[in-house]
Amino acid sequence: MNSTAHSAAPASSRLFGAGPAILASGLIVLAGLLTWQGLAARLPAADWMDAMLWPDLADMREVLVHYSWLPRLLTALLCGAALGLSGAILQQVLRNPLASPTTLGVSAGAQLALTLAALLAPGLLAVAREWIAVAGASAVLGLVFALAWNKALSPLSMVLGGMVLSLYCGALTALLIIFSQNYLVGLLIWGAGSLSQQDWSAVTYLAPRVIGGAVLAAFLVRPLSVVGLGDDGARSLGVSLTATRFAAMSLAVLLAAMVVSAVGVIGFIGLAAPPLAMLAGARRFGQRLLWAPIIGAALLWLADQFVQMAAGVYGDLAPTGALTALFGSPLLLWLLPRLRVNAEPPSAAPIVAARAARPGRLLLILAAVLTVAVLLALVIGRGLEGWSAADAGALLPWRWPRTLGALAAGAMLAASGVLLQRLTGNAMASPEVFGISAGAALGLIVLIFAVPGPDRIMQIGAGSIGAFLALAGVLALAGRSGFAPDRLLLAGIALSALFDALVVALTATGDPRAVTVLAWLTGSTYRVTGPDALTTLAVGLVLGALLSLTARWADMLPLGGPTAQALGMHVRRARLAILILTAGLSATATLVVGPLTFVGLIAPHLARMLGFQRALPQLAGAALIGALIMVSADWLGRTLLFPRQVPAGLVAALIGAPYFMWRMRRP
Amino acid sequence: MVRNGQQSGVKAAALTRRAALGLGAGGMAFMLAPRPGRGAGAVPKRVAVFDWGLAETLLGLGMQPVTVAETAGYREWVIEPALPEGIADCGLRIEPNFELLAAIRPDLILITPELDSLRASFARIAPTETLAIYTPDGAPWDKAREALTAMARLIGRETDGAALLARVDGTLSAARERIGPAPRPPVLLVNFMDKRHVRIYGRNSIFGAVLERLGLRNAYAGWTSFWGFATLGIEHLAASGDAQLFYFEPIPEEARAAFAERPLWQALPFVREGRVAALPPVWSFGGMMSAERLARVLGDKLAASTASSDEARSGQGVRHE
Repeated sequence: MNSTAHSAAPASSRLFGAGPAILASGLIVLAGLLTWQGLAARLPAADWMDAMLWPDLADMREVLVHYSWLPRLLTALLCGAALGLSGAILQQVLRNPLASPTTLGVSAGAQLALTLAALLAPGLLAVAREWIAVAGASAVLGLVFALAWNKALSPLSMVLGGMVLSLYCGALTALLIIFSQNYLVGLLIWGAGSLSQQDWSAVTYLAPRVIGGAVLAAFLVRPLSVVGLGDDGARSLGVSLTATRFAAMSLAVLLAAMVVSAVGVIGFIGLAAPPLAMLAGARRFGQRLLWAPIIGAALLWLADQFVQMAAGVYGDLAPTGALTALFGSPLLLWLLPRLRVNAEPPSAAPIVAARAARPGRLLLILAAVLTVAVLLALVIGRGLEGWSAADAGALLPWRWPRTLGALAAGAMLAASGVLLQRLTGNAMASPEVFGISAGAALGLIVLIFAVPGPDRIMQIGAGSIGAFLALAGVLALAGRSGFAPDRLLLAGIALSALFDALVVALTATGDPRAVTVLAWLTGSTYRVTGPDALTTLAVGLVLGALLSLTARWADMLPLGGPTAQALGMHVRRARLAILILTAGLSATATLVVGPLTFVGLIAPHLARMLGFQRALPQLAGAALIGALIMVSADWLGRTLLFPRQVPAGLVAALIGAPYFMWRMRRP
Repeated sequence: MVRNGQQSGVKAAALTRRAALGLGAGGMAFMLAPRPGRGAGAVPKRVAVFDWGLAETLLGLGMQPVTVAETAGYREWVIEPALPEGIADCGLRIEPNFELLAAIRPDLILITPELDSLRASFARIAPTETLAIYTPDGAPWDKAREALTAMARLIGRETDGAALLARVDGTLSAARERIGPAPRPPVLLVNFMDKRHVRIYGRNSIFGAVLERLGLRNAYAGWTSFWGFATLGIEHLAASGDAQLFYFEPIPEEARAAFAERPLWQALPFVREGRVAALPPVWSFGGMMSAERLARVLGDKLAASTASSDEARSGQGVRHE
């Protein structure tokens, strides 16, 4: 990426690289052939022109070509181009090859806004759907900017803020969908990115905006090329970093929000097109800005042709957006070892706090708070006659497994978060980013759809298989690069994307079983029995004991591979051991309470902010904080909307994220 | 029932752990075991039911459940048989509230296979029976009848059960008679999901079974999930242009708005020729009561359209609103 250094010179003659052109042509020829074939099956070639331009309204075949087939094709091209452009800009601004509209929370923000509108003002939704989505996306973008403002909109803090907000909006949306599933199936379909069209409204909405966006983007080539040099380099060239980034990000997010509002969430294209262009030889930013939209458009066109071909005349079994992500993730995994990742190490860890003077005493205070929380969670609750502590004895058998399960899982996720963050030297690392939770969840989803009413043993088995397959896959992939932190993170994100895509595709089919998956995903302790909770605790204690043995490694690994090696450490072996421990911790916790990403992400941060700097105290502190968050979340979830129960993971997200963001804003 | 020793190893560990934690939970568990008051022959009086298909069946058998999940949703989407006021809401259908259930103390809990994995937990509160209407082999009509009969037996109302089945059959044949033997266009049954998509009901849905028994042909013969439906873009309805389209209320505002302004919708043969009509809400994942309700509302519509068919033929235009 830093090779963009010389691209500040106007380079129109060098804009059309041969590599990207070959890649784009290949995609276009393939998509074109499929399109030709598809249209030929609908209409004799002689009528094509008439049907597209002057359809005979009495001939249903021509009506379909004119009002459904052609707008769908154009919508795919426009969306693909907009997402490719948006991704290229974002990746340049953030200097992060994995930045995309999704990583900044734009899609999640838009979806949350639409969900709220559907509940509170369905009339408004019919007339102003697009603007509601744009408003939600912009609000999230504004928040991301606000979060990173004190840090001069540094790339790392923006992506961190974007991901937290994305999870937050996702959690809120999930809550709304769970509690009113019958009303919101339409939003699930929309969330999955269906390109199905019945008129020209999406095309007439998108075309002028995408073209306008492309023109604006052309003006950004020069200043953004300079931004690619890095903060100091750009500053020395006199480019206003903040203004440039603000303008570029706004454009990128508007492009993405327009796509989201027109057809829904289409993942992966914005993420994949720019690196594909780069791999094909578009080294300079100006080239990528040209080729990423073209490759994005061709990719989505091709994907949509496959979807239509598979669906045949009847049936939209999988919306295109869900499908792009489905076959996009394996491609991303394949690309990873070949991708030239920004060699720049992550800038300083975003959480800087003074070391606690007496970490031991702080740990004791945390433990005392946790004990009080557990007692309250066991004793106080709601019943037929309202709030009460009276029946606590009789209700204890229902309460203690959930409380204990939440406690153990929260602590374990927090511990694995600490390890992952230290191992990768990246503040964004968490069990979900690592892909372990995703693997466990995939296993469970496959089971739920393959076997009606699977029992607990089968669920645990399927989840474990998924978790360890994910671990093996990530290890195999990362092993080639000696477990370099950034590759691990990338591999994990690709797996999580695959998992998200699957969930979205499943929920979009409207299958009622998908709601079970959704409830489980948000971290419900509802299904935790006594033996489940105790097993989790036992595994947690054993792994925790093993963990304390690795504390020395965990202290040194953030220093970076070479430094650690110089200190006499067998880096590869140490990393492998920590990875396996981490996988065990996250898989066990995930199986009991679902993939609770916020705890694994936040508890280590909070521990750091409280001043636990060294590995062992941070592990202990994070585990206590994670347990405290989960126990409180579980109690709130059981009582807030009684008799309905809000999943603990979701409550944790609702409480934890704002706190995290508030802390993050402090300089 | 808590201590039937299925997982004795884990249970032993559980007991020591409980003791170690000082929660005293080991002793408490007894309090949730089923009360000994009811002998094997006694008839359940307090039945808890979560799934709406089972709830409608229980109400159809003339028994009020002590608790139902998502009561407000039942009143909006299932509607009949009416759920009396004052019945406790037990939380979500996928996650009935155990604490509340334990306090309500039902003497019979009826669940569907989706909750089978939690059976042991329900059984700690009251005897629990699984009744399946929707299964992978996809014959909801037969399963719904079996579930009704099984439920009637469980609550000691076999005669009511037989009478109810006879009543449903009667409603269906009456509807079939009202619709008449005249050749009818095939029928599409859909719910509008948003302005671009419908949920369409196939042959393995309970609606498909009702159409068959009314002597109507289901125009949709494509793929469906095991719940008997598929989600389709509206353009796919063109493949069944000769059909008559019935859509269930309520429909999203944006879909209603799109009716008027869309050339594609207007060009669909059943729209152009006025073969579109709205039906009141009927629960699409229900049992025999929902089947009966569909037969009644569909019979009403089709009988009315027979009466006014001369009118329609003289070109009164599109009848959908």
